[in-house]
Amino acid sequence: MEHAQYIIDSTQEIFSSMIMLEVTPGQPYERAHEPLRNSISGIIGLAGSTKGLLAIHLPNSAALAVTTAFLGMEVEEIDDDVRDAIGELANMVAGNLKSALDPSGSDIKLSMPSAVHGEEYSIDCLANSQTVTVPFSFNGDNFLVELQFRQD
Amino acid sequence: MGRTVLIVDDSNTMRKIVSRSLRQAGLDFDTILEAGDGQEALDVLGGNKVDIILSDINMPNMNGLEFLKAKSENAAIKDIPVIMISTETGADIIDEAKSYGAKGAIKKPFTPEMINETLGALL
Repeated sequence: MEHAQYIIDSTQEIFSSMIMLEVTPGQPYERAHEPLRNSISGIIGLAGSTKGLLAIHLPNSAALAVTTAFLGMEVEEIDDDVRDAIGELANMVAGNLKSALDPSGSDIKLSMPSAVHGEEYSIDCLANSQTVTVPFSFNGDNFLVELQFRQD
Repeated sequence: MGRTVLIVDDSNTMRKIVSRSLRQAGLDFDTILEAGDGQEALDVLGGNKVDIILSDINMPNMNGLEFLKAKSENAAIKDIPVIMISTETGADIIDEAKSYGAKGAIKKPFTPEMINETLGALL
């Protein structure tokens, strides 16, 4: 569960320093979660010595609260600002994870951020990959940070 | 004449956050210009006097390292200081950025204090 601690540390740092929200981690688990419903996911692909993806999954209400705090302006619907903000969140978590796993910066490549939004969906990238999922909560909302990876 | 900063990042959100952080850091720029990738940044630099550039690395079309290289080959703009602001702050990447003239790097996530500390020495 080394990766879970990296996810917890980087997620808490990002939320406290840039979004001014204190988030509380729950118990990490390994299996992928149930299909996501009425949510938005920010996704970063990983390539190189560690392959897979890093994703942050937020229910719509949590995504609106996070984006409102991030931008310092009220956001009321899932729009381009929300997709961009959630993608950038995933980018920062993945960047911190990469720094921990690959201090030189040469062994792991990160993709551009992308975002998926829908009523019901799942995200899977690799066969035979390990999965680490960390639940977080803040102000009555919750979200997941998930790492699917395989190290060659 | 007032100072001008150019913020280069493909994320509209991050450009807003950097702009806000500059104000919170007490760094008053009269003009804040924005570009969504390295090529857009070169276009902006072609038509504006810019005092300092804050650039992401991981961007589409022309990334931050490609932008630095192109800028270093243009005599008219090569001396404008650039600070990288990125999740990509591995030693190899930062060494490459510095080889193209970057003056420093700030890791995302960042605070206004980190912005002030890094930019204050260059302004």
